Amino acid sequence: MKKCYLGVDVGSVSTNVVVMDSDENIVDTLYIRTQGKPIQAVKDGLKEIESRLDKDVEILGLGTTGSGRQLASVMLGADVVKNEITAHGIAALKCVPDVNTIIEIGGQDSKIILLRNGIIHDFAMNTVCAAGTGSFLDRQAERLNIPIQEFGSLALKSKAPVRIAGRCAVFAESDMIHKQQLGHNEEDIINGLCEALVRNYLNNLGKGKDIRAPIIFQGGVSANEGIKRAFEKILEQEIIVPKYADVMGAIGACLLAKDEVSKTGKTNFLGLDVAASDFSVKSFECENCPNMCEVVEFYRDDELVARWGDKCGRWSDVKVLSKEKLA
Amino acid sequence: MTVKVGIPRALLFHEYHLLWISFFEELGAQVIISEKTNKNIIGEGIKNTVDEACIPVKLFHGHVLNIKDKVDYLFIPRINSIFKNEHICPKFCGLPEMIKNSINDLPTIIDTEINFVKSKNSLKNTIYEIGKYFSNDYKQIMSAYDKAYLKFKNSKRIIKENPFSEVNMLNNKKIMIMGHPYNLYDPYINMDSIDKIKSMGAYVLTPEMIEDQYIFDYAKKFDGRLYWTFARKLVGTALYLIDKKNIDGIIYVSTFGCGVDSVVADIVEKLIRRKSDIPFMLVTLDEHSGEAGINTRIEAFIDMVKWRDISENNISAHG
Repeated sequence: MKKCYLGVDVGSVSTNVVVMDSDENIVDTLYIRTQGKPIQAVKDGLKEIESRLDKDVEILGLGTTGSGRQLASVMLGADVVKNEITAHGIAALKCVPDVNTIIEIGGQDSKIILLRNGIIHDFAMNTVCAAGTGSFLDRQAERLNIPIQEFGSLALKSKAPVRIAGRCAVFAESDMIHKQQLGHNEEDIINGLCEALVRNYLNNLGKGKDIRAPIIFQGGVSANEGIKRAFEKILEQEIIVPKYADVMGAIGACLLAKDEVSKTGKTNFLGLDVAASDFSVKSFECENCPNMCEVVEFYRDDELVARWGDKCGRWSDVKVLSKEKLA
Repeated sequence: MTVKVGIPRALLFHEYHLLWISFFEELGAQVIISEKTNKNIIGEGIKNTVDEACIPVKLFHGHVLNIKDKVDYLFIPRINSIFKNEHICPKFCGLPEMIKNSINDLPTIIDTEINFVKSKNSLKNTIYEIGKYFSNDYKQIMSAYDKAYLKFKNSKRIIKENPFSEVNMLNNKKIMIMGHPYNLYDPYINMDSIDKIKSMGAYVLTPEMIEDQYIFDYAKKFDGRLYWTFARKLVGTALYLIDKKNIDGIIYVSTFGCGVDSVVADIVEKLIRRKSDIPFMLVTLDEHSGEAGINTRIEAFIDMVKWRDISENNISAHG
């Protein structure tokens, strides 16, 4: 029986699943698009992983991360539910133990994490605005009718630099249209977009930060070689993109789950079969006070397993209370 | 019938509520305060405010709408300066006009100017101007103010009693959450940040808990003139914490598009980063009601503070 740990990272754009064995080797990874349907994405991801795994694999523990981490935890039963920053930091330290800087660009979030002597020393995330993230590139690729996978390699073909405004996705789009109308090459414009995103990132997150090598670049956008090159050009440093750069959050969740299970000696994980369950969500607006919270009710196979979304705890505590009564 | 005076639960209410409420009550008025911020108040506020205003000003509009039909007077003073040689965000000076321009069918607005930029000599006049709406007796107005001020001062003093003492903290991490009082003390707008930090086992402190005199003295050490009263308080707080080293982490709560914070948050961040090793995080709020973003940031910040501690202990254990 091969003993493994599972990490699930439910992000705004992608849902990633990683299977890691007890010696911390990566057994399998999966990157699928969330497409605004996190429940479906988690189910699909788990089913797919289950079908690819050997039959004799035993899952000892589960960790979840990403903005949908609570949801995934309720669905699957997690041993550890961790924020993305800690998860990314732990995974990066595993790959490059002396890492000093992590650049992480995902779908809606971008982060910079500074580490010193193997611990997270400082971090910053983008503010209320999602400019300078993967969604921005996605949107522009769609506009140019280019598959996002080819975006990076096209950027590398650029010979002449074209400067595109990077402060805001809307500004960039109008600037880009203008440059197109002037007749600039597509690859130069794409490269211009990559550089605009990097400038935006460094201005917003890198401001006043001591960006020291070794620098790791991870998150979905790290698959884009054009962005990697733009970072190297502007920072004048080598950028390391680790092998599993797109699923680092899930790797961090695996490592944390292993740690937790070794402490508690048990797991909350409901088993890989849980993906076959029928998950459904009902929501309603609570009318008990003027806050009118949007309460979400979560059902697994018609059984109410959790409620959340209320500020006062009137609804979210119900399940806990009934459990206590049952016990 | 008793005269009813309404105070919106927004902006400087969070700093001066006790003074204002007691003053009006001493003068025999019934004080009506708008409800705690809720979805309806924020929604109406956003709908009825000029687009470019910041979220706290939009909230103020929502709170006005919440009580305007229940009161005879609305207390919306034109606050220009509350301290000698210092100013306040210009939106406070224009607040009565913004309200009158955007909201119809208002009761009488008490929009007395409060301006102590030259000196506090105008204080008595200001008090009399406000009190006149409720009484013709100068002495009664002044004595009402004195009583209200005593209450206000006492409450301020209690907040400052030993919040930094070791007994209070036990072994908890101490986190300073700083920013404008109307962002810190409205749990709806900051998505319960204070309770969230507490629930992670940390002890929460705010600038209001530091002695005024410390804030004054430390702010004086800043090289340059601090134009705004808020700036003095926040920069003074930062320099005090840097010097005393009695804090494990600092979170600055700001709102999107805040003109004062565009300068002050930056100064505070630079001071903390250059002169200390205290973990610092800036959180920006706006109309967003999804809490995932702020939860992630607070969780990660507290993780970092705790993690640093473990590693420091390890290092000292080895030598």
